[in-house]
Amino acid sequence: MGTYILRRLLLMIPTVIGMTLLVFVLIAASPGGIGAALNVSGGGQMESGTSKAQQQAYLEDRYGLDAPIVVQYLRWLGRVSPVKFGQRDLIAPTGEVIRSPRSISPPMHWDVFVDTLPADVAAEAPAFAFDAAATLDEKSRVYRLESQAYTRVRSEYVLSRAGYEQAAGEALRAVGLERFVNRDGTMKSGTPGSAIKAVLADAEQGPGVEQAFDESIERYAEAIAGRASLKEVFDARPFPAAGVPVIPNTLSLATPDLGMSFARGRPVTTLIAEALPKTLLLNFLAIPIIYFIAVPSGMLAATRRGGLFDVLSGGLYVALWSIPIVWACVLMLGFLANKETGLGWFPVTGLHSIDGQEMTWLPSTGPDGSFIRGYVLDTLWHMCLPVAALVYAGFAILSKQTRAAMLDNFNADYVRTAKAKGVRSRDIVLRHVFRNSLLPIITMFVSIFPAMLGGSVVVERVFSVPGMGNLVIDAIFLRDREVLLANALIIGLVNMFALLIADLLYALADPRVSYE
Amino acid sequence: MSQLTETTRSQPLESVTGVQLAQGIGHRPTKGFWGEAWDYVIKRPGAIFGLSWISVIAFFAVFAPFIASGYPLMVRELDADGSVTSVSYPLFAQLTATDVLLLLGTFAVFPWLLWPFKMGRSDRLIAAVFLAIQSGFAVIIASIVRDVFTGRDVSNWMRSAEQSAWFPVLVAVIVCGLAALMVSWLLPFRAWMSRVLAAGVVALVTGVVIVGTWTEPLGQFDYRQREAANEIKATYTLIPFSPQEGTTDRDLQQPFNSIADAVGEGEAARIAGSSNLFLLGTDSLGQDVFSQMLHACRLSISIGLVSTAISVVIGVTVGALMGYFGGWVDLLLYRVVEIFMAVPVLFLLIVAAAVLPRNTYVMMAIIGCVSWTGSARFVRAEFFKLRGQDFVQSARAVGLPLRSILFKHMLPNGVTPVLVDASFAIAAAILAEAVLSFLGLGPANQASWGRLLSEATGQVGDFMWWLAVFPGLAIFLTVLSYNLIGEAFRDAIDPKLKKARV
Repeated sequence: MGTYILRRLLLMIPTVIGMTLLVFVLIAASPGGIGAALNVSGGGQMESGTSKAQQQAYLEDRYGLDAPIVVQYLRWLGRVSPVKFGQRDLIAPTGEVIRSPRSISPPMHWDVFVDTLPADVAAEAPAFAFDAAATLDEKSRVYRLESQAYTRVRSEYVLSRAGYEQAAGEALRAVGLERFVNRDGTMKSGTPGSAIKAVLADAEQGPGVEQAFDESIERYAEAIAGRASLKEVFDARPFPAAGVPVIPNTLSLATPDLGMSFARGRPVTTLIAEALPKTLLLNFLAIPIIYFIAVPSGMLAATRRGGLFDVLSGGLYVALWSIPIVWACVLMLGFLANKETGLGWFPVTGLHSIDGQEMTWLPSTGPDGSFIRGYVLDTLWHMCLPVAALVYAGFAILSKQTRAAMLDNFNADYVRTAKAKGVRSRDIVLRHVFRNSLLPIITMFVSIFPAMLGGSVVVERVFSVPGMGNLVIDAIFLRDREVLLANALIIGLVNMFALLIADLLYALADPRVSYE
Repeated sequence: MSQLTETTRSQPLESVTGVQLAQGIGHRPTKGFWGEAWDYVIKRPGAIFGLSWISVIAFFAVFAPFIASGYPLMVRELDADGSVTSVSYPLFAQLTATDVLLLLGTFAVFPWLLWPFKMGRSDRLIAAVFLAIQSGFAVIIASIVRDVFTGRDVSNWMRSAEQSAWFPVLVAVIVCGLAALMVSWLLPFRAWMSRVLAAGVVALVTGVVIVGTWTEPLGQFDYRQREAANEIKATYTLIPFSPQEGTTDRDLQQPFNSIADAVGEGEAARIAGSSNLFLLGTDSLGQDVFSQMLHACRLSISIGLVSTAISVVIGVTVGALMGYFGGWVDLLLYRVVEIFMAVPVLFLLIVAAAVLPRNTYVMMAIIGCVSWTGSARFVRAEFFKLRGQDFVQSARAVGLPLRSILFKHMLPNGVTPVLVDASFAIAAAILAEAVLSFLGLGPANQASWGRLLSEATGQVGDFMWWLAVFPGLAIFLTVLSYNLIGEAFRDAIDPKLKKARV
């Protein structure tokens, strides 16, 4: 058994990698890339006077989108992996993971213009060290200031580099080397140095490009210096290190870092921590309801096989199962929740009333004798329609499963023996048959749960429940890669563990099944 | 021989001796596996309902352009003193390749299937399906080529090539040749002459239709104004609205409102036929809902069938390889299956639909490529069982190629669960389309039940009941039909139930 579990766990690793890679490639393949979508959704607040290409360059640098897709994916994988190599990252009190500052690439074809690049070392001042008595707050302030300064010089450099590439692109086009120009007017990344030399030799275009390059190399020097001094502060370890060391400075274990949401600028972990409880609440209310209705009716259908109840319940469940969830949601919203066109019995959106936070926990009577619902009742009232929408389709599968499992056992020899002994038919059904058919019903829970996690997308969308489903849809429209990947990762892991547990439960409960 | 069976069948069962039975006399000739299953299915009321509803949908899928159209069947141009100068047929002029081919195919397929001649019925059915696939291929490839060449930022030579007269002819010839090549070897004709002939005839017809319908005319619905001004006299179809025909002054009309109700009495006098009813109301763009629902039948039928076909083809291929080879091939391919199983189908669908182009064909491909794991696992399990059996061993010993062993010998013995499951898969695909369209990720410029449904709750507090009830009902009935047919087939082939019935 132990080896089987280990094997399954190890096999999960390639599956998780493949799954996240699939989602990653899909998002990266979106027209215009993520940078374009961020630009549209206002991901970067830019001052006026910057061109579209510059804005794109800024966003791509900020979110690391300028690297090839494989590199981007490996970076992401490195962040979520619980096993880290090299020096440990720092963790700020806010929960943000602080990494060593990223390196900067020099402007394209610098070797055509200058012989050497500005050196990537700090001035000869003594190495930076914090005062031994400095508190965490003071250290944090020093680091923040330094990091803000670096962000500023870096973004200035990236903008000027984009300006240089654009100027070079225009010049290339002017001297007739259009094949080295991208569609947005910038120079292509594979342009040979000889093309730049040709541009510089041109009396009309040369000076402009040279000027643009001079500016960008100047900014590059500033950015390099900023990076070096930030690196010094970082090396002085202003924050406690993240994770647990296994081999010092080579291997450590740390909690996976799911990154920052592109569109909302908040850690993905917090976003999920806010959304997940709402989805879980809906599902954990819905699943017991499904069981309490479907299992007894499946039993009843099996005992009166071919009878009126069997036929009717079977037909009803197929009909319920065929109702599109979008239709059910819209009808409920229009006819039960809407005050003008329907009955208005239920609230239209959200999980709580606006004044829900001010309510008492339990129902109570107000000072003037009026009834106050209280927080719990208010939430339950809001959840009636979403839970109903989640529940109705689940009956069919579970009830059919129960019925089939019961029928299997009705044909078994031990039932005939029990009948021959004169056991009451009630006892046969409840004690013998039902107990033996319980196994597939229990393990079904494990497969229902992940399915519902995905299925609540529509319900949450229609009823404006700020759960995981809504988070996913918003993230898709904003091309918020980090949120999508984190969701795929979490849902996929939950799913695979559920499958594993289902298989193990089978083996535990049924001695005929063995994984040795 | 047939006489013999006649006489023996009329004998009462008791009078057949065991010896006669052993000689093959007296027992009923069986109809074969699928024939028996079909006989069982056709007796179930649920399946009868399902089949008839789907026939209705299929009818509208073919004939919707001739039932609901804003283009007049016939326009007579009048000059100043009211005499007819010329006659034109706008409805037929604006038909697309799909419209024409569907119509031709429908009129060709019934005599082909029902006419009594030597070839077996099932062979004829298979041939018809393959020829339909062939022309479908051609139309899809041609429309993709057109999309590529008429895109927003294409280079100049592409634009000028697209506008020249020889371009449609070239595309049609190449595309139909390719489609004929792809399909001709699949046709179940014995002689290759008739194979080539059949594939060639279909390719020719498809090519002619593609050339004839290459330029899509822009939708212009000024016939009513011109008729009111006594410039023309127009004859309309049963429902005189196209799905795309709408003006914002007719938006959100309740069912049974007319144009006159929408635009007011004074304006209505200037519009001919202003007493025409919007049977199921209009949507927020003023487009007739009933017309959209009829035209959406085609999307609904095709998205179910095509995406399920894609998923079955992928699933059967992958599953067959896994089941036949086992070992590391199985281990490796099963990781791929697990990848698609671990992420909920809806999640993948939404991500893919959001980042890929909004297009009917892309949508079918997405749904098909995401939902193939079920059939792969069915086929894998069946092939594991079949692998060791004698007929497979002997096929291998004779040295048959892998393709023949897998798909000719093993597959017919292991495909049953996949085909039964396909009915449920079609239902699931239609539901998936509804969800995607509802979330605003459906195909653009295409009448769809899901898109209509998504307009039911527009602004806060608005609820257009006719946009919720009718399209939702249509989706529900279609999904229910496929589910009922699937249930009937599953019961029909379930050996456990059969044993219990006896």
